[in-house]
Amino acid sequence: MRRFFNLPWRTRQQIRADVDDELSFHLDMRIDALVATGLSPDQARAQAIREFGDIDDARRYIRAVDHDIEAARRRSDYMNDLRSDVIYAVRKLRGSPMFTLTAVLTLALGIGANTAIFSVVNGVLLKPLPFPQQDNLVRIQFRQQGHGDASTPPDLADFRTRSRAFEGFAHYEGLTANLVREHAEPERIAGGQVSANWFSLLRVRPLHGRFFAEGEDTPSAPRVVVLSEALWRRDFAADPAIVGKQLQINAQLVTVVGIAPDGQGYPMRAELWTPLRFTTRDLGDATRGARWLGLLGRVKEGVPFETARAEVEQIEKQMEGLFPEQFRERRAQAIRLQTAIVGDLQRPLYVIMAAVAVVLLIACANVANLMLIRATARESEMAIRTALGAGRSRLVRQLITESMILSAVGAVVGVAFAKWGMSLLIAMAPDDLPRVKTAAIDATALVVTAGAALIIGLLFGVFPAMQTAAGDLANALRAGARGTRTRRQTNRTKRLIVAAEVALAVTLLTGAGLLIRSFRELMTVDPGFQPDHIMTMRVLLPEKTYDTVTKITAFSRQLEARALALPGVRAAALGSAVPLDGTSFWLTFTVRGRAPVRKSDEPSSSIRLITPGYFTVLGTPLLRGRAFAADDRAGAPRVAIVNQTFAKKFMPNEDPIGRYVDIGWTQDGVRQGGQIVGIVGDMRDDELQSDAEPTFYLPFDQTPTEGIAIAIRTATPPASVATALRGIVRDLDPTLPVYQIHTMEEQVAASVSRQRFYATLLGVFASVALVLAAVGLYGVIAYAVSQRTHELGVRVALGATGDRISRMVIAEGVILTAIGVLVGLAASLEGGRLITKLLYNVKASDPVTFVGVALLLGVVAACASYIPARRAARVDPLVAMRGD
Amino acid sequence: MASEPMVLLQGTLDVLVLRALRLGSMHGYAVSRWIRERTDGVLEIEDAPLYKALHRLEQAGHVAAEWGFSENNRRARFYRLTPDGRRQLKDEEAAWRRYAAAVFKVLEPA
Repeated sequence: MRRFFNLPWRTRQQIRADVDDELSFHLDMRIDALVATGLSPDQARAQAIREFGDIDDARRYIRAVDHDIEAARRRSDYMNDLRSDVIYAVRKLRGSPMFTLTAVLTLALGIGANTAIFSVVNGVLLKPLPFPQQDNLVRIQFRQQGHGDASTPPDLADFRTRSRAFEGFAHYEGLTANLVREHAEPERIAGGQVSANWFSLLRVRPLHGRFFAEGEDTPSAPRVVVLSEALWRRDFAADPAIVGKQLQINAQLVTVVGIAPDGQGYPMRAELWTPLRFTTRDLGDATRGARWLGLLGRVKEGVPFETARAEVEQIEKQMEGLFPEQFRERRAQAIRLQTAIVGDLQRPLYVIMAAVAVVLLIACANVANLMLIRATARESEMAIRTALGAGRSRLVRQLITESMILSAVGAVVGVAFAKWGMSLLIAMAPDDLPRVKTAAIDATALVVTAGAALIIGLLFGVFPAMQTAAGDLANALRAGARGTRTRRQTNRTKRLIVAAEVALAVTLLTGAGLLIRSFRELMTVDPGFQPDHIMTMRVLLPEKTYDTVTKITAFSRQLEARALALPGVRAAALGSAVPLDGTSFWLTFTVRGRAPVRKSDEPSSSIRLITPGYFTVLGTPLLRGRAFAADDRAGAPRVAIVNQTFAKKFMPNEDPIGRYVDIGWTQDGVRQGGQIVGIVGDMRDDELQSDAEPTFYLPFDQTPTEGIAIAIRTATPPASVATALRGIVRDLDPTLPVYQIHTMEEQVAASVSRQRFYATLLGVFASVALVLAAVGLYGVIAYAVSQRTHELGVRVALGATGDRISRMVIAEGVILTAIGVLVGLAASLEGGRLITKLLYNVKASDPVTFVGVALLLGVVAACASYIPARRAARVDPLVAMRGD
Repeated sequence: MASEPMVLLQGTLDVLVLRALRLGSMHGYAVSRWIRERTDGVLEIEDAPLYKALHRLEQAGHVAAEWGFSENNRRARFYRLTPDGRRQLKDEEAAWRRYAAAVFKVLEPA
């Protein structure tokens, strides 16, 4: 009501003046009345004031009340304005459903993609680990060429005694557990062997029972195990009574003492934990060379991480002084636990996050352009509202209300998109991405989404609104006014926006193009073996029951022979590992006849134990000499085969065949090794993108091992023998779980799953960006044509042919695109550096990708301009010049 | 004793102001004069609390205020009852009557 008359709100000074006026009016009236009864003016004034009472108090009180009244009025006016703005905006948006639908869908796409990716980034990188004060948890890594990052029991003792910055240290080692239950298939569970203080250092409380007590990690203590909540629910029906019962793990009876709550899968997705028992030998200085222990520390509360890090390096220095031989070239390093777990994901995930942000920017740019085009069409509406008394800020507010409604609806639809996208994303994510499976759209993600919606609502709203509101009233009202200054300005703005969109899309496309090219490079890499028609699986023989070489060999021979007898099987072999299965052993070695070197200077090589058929199954060529034969068994002369890299690296100027190599590993008191009898081709055993490592093969029969991989080459599809193979294992030993059951092709695919994941994601976002940019380009060109109908009509009337006209229009689109492409490519040259580390065999400035993207954009621009160009060519000069 | 003016009971002033405004739109001075005349000086009424009451009632939405011109052509603040205020007056009036009736009932000789 008040706003109807457009009354301004009263200021503090006005209130003050009003109150004074009101009160003095009263006093004057009363004084006049009293004077009329015959009092002198002075007497009258005195009486009036007396009758009034405490006037100062009244004045203060009234001012305060009036001030509150004004504030309330302002609030309610504001709310009323907002309500009417919203109602008006909704009516307007419903009035142009095509615009609204396009804008909402575009925004929903952009926002949804961001919500989904942010949820993943949040779940994987940002969310703290489920350990109290997890910031204080630190992994201590030891870097030394060819030795991984592990430490040794004496190292641990050193840190325990020398450290001041740490509250404590715990250690762990991976554990493969064969779990045997009654009436169930034996199961292979990933576990961890940990120090007794493991859980107390992580500050986890048991769900049931207890964790390890001090002393339970000594060799004489009774064997105990803690189960993870997931395992407990899956295999033991979440029965708390399991605590105190005994389980058969690795052929040993172990008592369950407690259940650890979920989310504790560190290290290495462990689902059960046993105390790691050090023997006296383990703790001796002699073992300082053999590193196998993971080390974890908790920094004391209040001690900065930097201090702890410096201390770790300092302790390492002191140790180097004491044991120069073992510690030479070794560097200790403290890394926050969370960083250690997700460190190598940071860059790719942030790159992907940046990519979706770019998609969102393009979406915003598109909607901003739509708004601008709409705003131009609404010039007269705005002019009329201005004429009716709406202030400029009021119009801007109106337009921003519209854009906010659009972005809010876009955000709601976007979250629905995101929910769906997340399920796709998680299904597609490689298994070895830590924490990704539990990523979800949580409160944080929703808050971030809402914040993003708010910002982009302003972003694509304010700009067009300012442009519109700046419009020249008189010009706009003049019917048919064409080419006003504002219009030319908004047209320039639109073109600028489109060129920017193209530039952004180009950066995404080059990024995606590089990753895709790199992925294709990876897929064409020759792994050194033929992955088709190969089935692989693993078993682990528990030391307790397979405690002699004879027992292991008996098992392995039968397994191989019976596998070979299966129908459809061409060749079968066993090995300590098969390529790409993540298992590898590195050992130092010495070559007989060479001058002895210091122990720490001994070279090291990957060691694999294989049966004779190994190379036949994998299809790896024997380059020289012979393969292993059935006669190369225990008791026969010890033999070995090396790969090409080994031969080149360690015996470049001599014939490896005939040389005798000893490796740093004794079995049953005998130092292992053998005389080289053959050289085979290289295989990429660890990952497809790394060159083959020097590899030293020994006959399985001469050096049997408990962890066995079996590889079968089949004539039929390889998966068809899986069931039969498991049956053989069950026949041989019903307590053995079979695990890592994959065809070799699956292994190959899994080994590049991260690269595939990144390339797919970036590819999808780049495609979305391309489509959005094309739509934006089309919109602007089409609009420009519709605005220039009159001019085009004149041109046609003056003799321009349709072809000429459409060439002109297409040229406009192509020029806009060319500008965008140039800027985008320049930006990509810079941005490409961010993903250099993710690329295989492709340079970040790969010309093929850059030229390809430029051509692609050129074609898309031509297509997007073609439709409006056709329309322009068909302009009828008579209709066009008659005016609109 | 009876001629000594009585102090106003808390909350009574509001209902008196509302009652005054039932006559129509008037400024504070007029409200003050009308109440004094009606109570014949039985109640001691100061103007300060009266003005406070007017503004308080405005805040509560029972009266609305507007600047206008008085009979002698001076700028004055005029108050009138809002529909809300009219309802409020009715309620308070009824409450007062019930209250007074109850008190009289007790005081009446049995």
